[in-house]
Amino acid sequence: MLLFSMPSRLLRTVLALFFFLLAAASANAAPSTLDTIKQRGVLLWGCDIAGGAPLAFPDPKDPSRLLGFEADIAEAIARELGVRAQVVQTEWDSLVPGLERGNYDIAMNGLEIIPERQKRVLMSRPYYVYTLQLVVRKDETRINSIADLKGMTVGTLAGAMADSLLRKIGGVTLKSYSAVWPYDDLALGRIDAAFLDTPITAYYAKPDKRLKYVGPPEGEGFYGIAIRKDDRELKQAIDKVIDKLLRTGELKNIYDKWDLWDKTQTKLFETAAATDTASKLRTDSDEAPLSTFLPSLLKGAGMTVVLSIISMALAIGLGICLAFLRMYGPGALSAASAVYIEVYRGTPLLIQLFIIYYGLPNIGIVLSPFAAAIIGLGMNYAAYEAEVYRGGIEAVPKGQMEAALSLGMPRLLALRRIILPQAFRISLPAVTNDFIALFKDSSIVSVIAMVELTKTYSILAATTLRYFELGLVVALLYFGMSWPLSIMARRLERKLKGHK
Amino acid sequence: MIKIRNLYKSFGNHKLFQGIDLEVKKGEVIVLIGPSGSGKSTLLRCINGLEHFEQGEIDVAEIALHSLNRSRPSREDAEAIRQVRLKVGMVFQQFNLFPHMTVLENVVEAPVRVLGIDRGTAEKDALSFLRRINLESKALARPATLSGGEQQRVAIARALAMRPQAMLFDEPTASLDPETVGDVLAVIRDLVYQEGMTTLISTHEMGFAREIAHEVVVFDKGEIVEQGPPESIFTSPGQERTRTFLRRVLAK
Ligand SMILES: Nc1ncnc2c1ncn2[C@@H]1O[C@H](COP(=O)(O)OP(=O)(O)O)[C@@H](O)[C@H]1O
Ligand SMILES: [Mg+2]
Repeated sequence: MLLFSMPSRLLRTVLALFFFLLAAASANAAPSTLDTIKQRGVLLWGCDIAGGAPLAFPDPKDPSRLLGFEADIAEAIARELGVRAQVVQTEWDSLVPGLERGNYDIAMNGLEIIPERQKRVLMSRPYYVYTLQLVVRKDETRINSIADLKGMTVGTLAGAMADSLLRKIGGVTLKSYSAVWPYDDLALGRIDAAFLDTPITAYYAKPDKRLKYVGPPEGEGFYGIAIRKDDRELKQAIDKVIDKLLRTGELKNIYDKWDLWDKTQTKLFETAAATDTASKLRTDSDEAPLSTFLPSLLKGAGMTVVLSIISMALAIGLGICLAFLRMYGPGALSAASAVYIEVYRGTPLLIQLFIIYYGLPNIGIVLSPFAAAIIGLGMNYAAYEAEVYRGGIEAVPKGQMEAALSLGMPRLLALRRIILPQAFRISLPAVTNDFIALFKDSSIVSVIAMVELTKTYSILAATTLRYFELGLVVALLYFGMSWPLSIMARRLERKLKGHK
Repeated sequence: MIKIRNLYKSFGNHKLFQGIDLEVKKGEVIVLIGPSGSGKSTLLRCINGLEHFEQGEIDVAEIALHSLNRSRPSREDAEAIRQVRLKVGMVFQQFNLFPHMTVLENVVEAPVRVLGIDRGTAEKDALSFLRRINLESKALARPATLSGGEQQRVAIARALAMRPQAMLFDEPTASLDPETVGDVLAVIRDLVYQEGMTTLISTHEMGFAREIAHEVVVFDKGEIVEQGPPESIFTSPGQERTRTFLRRVLAK
């Protein structure tokens, strides 16, 4: 009855929503994922092939081909299902959300079987038993096992077991890596040790002459294939295939090929029990209220603020120099400044950061993540600031300079006392807006292992898989900080326009 | 005081002055008239170095400005130009007050920063200038809150605070509402009659020109058509071009 008394537009909206939900539900009920896979003849699997060898990585000789033991397993599974495997490149941190969104049918990329993950997705029976290996620099003497890590900075994988083992020791500063491995940073002295899954260690750290293994392999966990919660049928099919690959020895052959078979792998035969043991390793934070994470998020937010302010100060200082050189400098310097501005504005900040952080060490310049972040952001924004100031200076009417000169002021004095203060007022709103933009752009430096607000989020979310609630909290934090700034900027703009 | 000899000046291909001569003696008041675009502003701007010129000489109070046919003058030339600017004050059609400063700051800025006069003395001085132009009450106001006539009077006070030996006025009342023109002219009149300031003015105010000028110079297309005492120029002009111009201005 209530429904009919509603205004007709609202009624229509409600009805439309109802039918939409109905349609969505029935679409879901229609063919199962397994049927869909067979129909399209392709098994789509999510994987971060940028994550590297030996799990799954592009063939250096022919990047369209995929190598790695997971690529081999994917192919074997597809073959058993009577289809072809096709990889869908996805950031490691986003593998589970991507699966849930339906971007692919399964996700396989060193995903540990842990309860937090099992809350959101089904995990297949294990296809690999991994341990964790501690790696240090060749000349390291302080560290002989993970017990010695108190007070040290250790590189790990986001959301992995290493994390929770080290957390138990306490006093260890963790640095999560996902896009690149920590071994270069370790060799360069940016961190004291690295504690990663054995397949990765074997491939990247073992051959590295600057590094060495210490202590026995620690922990023990299982990699499984992630499958959407309602795809029980697909899980059964995949479990059956893995079982078959194990029994026929094909799985062992694959691991032999990558030099990864060891006797711990025999545990793969005792599946169900084993997954439970592994699960017990993780006792974290799943039911914890969101407020548990607030201190680390606030700490991350604090870092974001510090980072933004220092970067902006650098951008303003450098920007003024660039604008001056471009406008008043001698020919060569003016051209150099113009080139700087164009190059920095014409290339992605992300690439600039990678070059500064991972590239410069090749020519002997090793920067801490903090320094690299500030230099990267500062130098990038300086290019934009320079153009803002140039615009500001050019917007001051010509008559101002002429009046100052006609009073006998030298050009430099006129610039300093008459032109710049006016240019400053003209530029101020744009500078404030740039600061807000920089504040948000600072989230990009999370790629160079700088733990600010966004990185804190991605670590917490990868560990707890609570992407949604934590994401909202983090977005709120960003917004809560940038909103007052933009109100201020607008007020400033109005005020400056007022008494011109 | 100001001697211009054989001045050549062009803008790109447009040859404006092709040999101009003019002299302003100490205490003399010369008024430039002529249709717009005839070169009055350019001549005034050449005198205080806001325009460079290709040929000829301009002497201001014994300082010689030679043809400075470059946009970036040498250090010595730049200093010579600055010395000239210290000797002659300039008032612009658009006032060009500094909008980020108060009226008082506008007036004391150059005496303090350029002449090195201490701020207290400079402010006392500035206030007496402002009193003379009847704007003492606006000392702490921003230029934007003043009427055009008030702004132009402040601009005059700002130039005078540098104690120049001569003043250049470039159409000082052309951007003003008619009712404020009188106040500005009164200030100039006062300056000429009370202090005998050497003055070069370009203007379209013919009555004022006739009243104040010792000599009127008629410009057309970058040439001096004729020059002479105001009575003869305004009552019996010798040139057809002067007659045409005067007829057009007075018809308005
Ligand atoms: N900066 C400039 N660039 C090019 N031409 C100019 C410039 N300034 C003045 N002129 C030209 O010079 C001539 C004289 O201008 P101006 O001295 O302003 O005349 P007036 O002040 O008598 O109106 C005009 O034809 C004008 O177009
Ligand atoms: Mg003019």
